[in-house]
Amino acid sequence: MNKDAQMRAAINQKLIETGERERLKELLKAKLIECGWKDQLKAHCKDVIKEKGLEHVTVDDLVAEITPKGRALVPDSVKKELLQRIRTFLAQHASL
Amino acid sequence: MKMEEMSLSGLDNSKLEVIAHEIYTDLIEDSCLGLCFEVHRAVKCGYFFLDDTDPDCTKDFEIVDQPGVDIFGQVYNQWKNKECVCPNCNRSIAASRFAPHLEKCLGMGRNSSRIANRRWGREMLGPQRVGMSAWIASSNNVNKSESDQEDNDDLNDNDWSYGSEKKAKKRKSDKNPNSPRRSKSLKHKNGELGGNSDPFKYNNNNNSSGINYETLGPEELRALLTTQCGVISEHTKKMCTRSLRCPQHTDEQRRSVRVYLLGPSASLPEPEGNVDNDSFDVTESQAIMSRLQWDGSSDISPSDSASSKASTNNSESRKTKKIKPHLSLVGSSGSSSSLTSSKKKKPKPPAPMTPSIYDDIN
Repeated sequence: MNKDAQMRAAINQKLIETGERERLKELLKAKLIECGWKDQLKAHCKDVIKEKGLEHVTVDDLVAEITPKGRALVPDSVKKELLQRIRTFLAQHASL
Repeated sequence: MKMEEMSLSGLDNSKLEVIAHEIYTDLIEDSCLGLCFEVHRAVKCGYFFLDDTDPDCTKDFEIVDQPGVDIFGQVYNQWKNKECVCPNCNRSIAASRFAPHLEKCLGMGRNSSRIANRRWGREMLGPQRVGMSAWIASSNNVNKSESDQEDNDDLNDNDWSYGSEKKAKKRKSDKNPNSPRRSKSLKHKNGELGGNSDPFKYNNNNNSSGINYETLGPEELRALLTTQCGVISEHTKKMCTRSLRCPQHTDEQRRSVRVYLLGPSASLPEPEGNVDNDSFDVTESQAIMSRLQWDGSSDISPSDSASSKASTNNSESRKTKKIKPHLSLVGSSGSSSSLTSSKKKKPKPPAPMTPSIYDDIN
C-alpha cells in the first residue's frame, strides 16, 4: 500500500516533470470542445444555475453537479485515445 | 529513483491499467473543474447569459425572403418619401429634387447664382413683394414680360414638393411658346424693375443689363458714352448703363474707358451729356473700332431693354436709374407698382422725383 502510493506519486511527478500531463490536458480540452462535450456541459450549467438562482450559485454546487455528468459525457473515442496515450507514457517509463 | 523505476517495471499490466484510468479520471475532473470555474466566473461577472437569445425575439428579426420586400419585410419603393434637409435654408426637400434645389439655394451653376441672388434680395424685401408682383402678373396683360418673369420665379421656388413640381412643369410647358420672350423679359426686369436696395441685386442688374461694347459701332459708342457711365466691368466685359454720375464707378474709370474706346483725345463728358464731339478723332477711333462688329445687337430691343433705351435716350435712362434709390425706400409696394407705371413715368421730368413716385404708388 505504501509502495503503491509511492509509485503513484512517482508517476504523477514524472507526468508533470516531462510536461506530458500538460500536453494531455491540452489534447483532452481540444477533443472535448471538438465533440461538443463543453457545450453540453454548459447547457447543463445553465439549468443548474437557473435552478439555484443566479446569485446563490457557488463553485462547489457547480462542481458537484457537473463532474459526474462530465465524466459520463466523454465520448468513448476520446477516452480511448487518452488512455492509449497514458499507457504509452507508462510503458516508456516502465521500460526505463 | 532507480528503486521506483524498478518497481514500475515490475508492475503487471492490470496495475498499469488501473493507474492509467486514475490518470485519465484525474484529467477529466481537471477539465470539469476548469469549466466550472469558467462558468462560475461568467455568472458572477454577469456575462454568462449574454449569448442567450430569446426565441421570440429572434422570430421578430428573422430575415424575410419574399419578393417585393426587403430583408426586413418592408416595402422598399418608398424612396419618394425620403426627404433631405437643405443645409443652407433648412427646409426639407424631396430627395429627387434635392440636387436642383441645392444648386439654386447655394447659387452655384450658370443661371442659379442669379436666381439665388434674386431670392436673397426678395427675402430682404419681405414676402409682400412676391404677393404683389404675382397679383400684378395675373391682372396686368400689358406687363406680360414681368408676369413671365414672376412665373419663372415661382417655378424656382416650387421645388419643395412633388405636387408643386408637377404644377411647375405644367406651367413651363404652357410657357414654352413664349420662351424667346422670357429671355427678353429677364433683361427687361433687370433694367426696369430694379426696385430694391439690395446691393447684390443691384450689381446683378447692372451686369446683366450692361452693353457689350464689342457689338457697338463707333457712332453708337460715342452716343452711348455721352450719356452713360460706360465703365467696362471686369467680370462681364460689359459697359455700365447707368448715368454719368453713377456712384459705382469713379471719374477716373470713366475717363480711361473713353480713352480706350474713343482714342486719347476723348475726354470725360460733362454729366449733362455735353461731350466735345469735335475733339473726337474719327479715323483713329475707327481704327480701333474696325475690329468691333455691329451685329444689330439682337438681344437689345427698344421696347424691352433698359440699356438700349439708355443708349438712345439720355434723359430717359437717367431718369430710370435715378428712380431706383427712391423705389428702394418705398419698399415692396413701390417696386411692384413700378412694374405697372414704368411706362407712365418716363415722360415726366426727373426733377420732382420723390413726389412723382409716391403718386405712382397711389
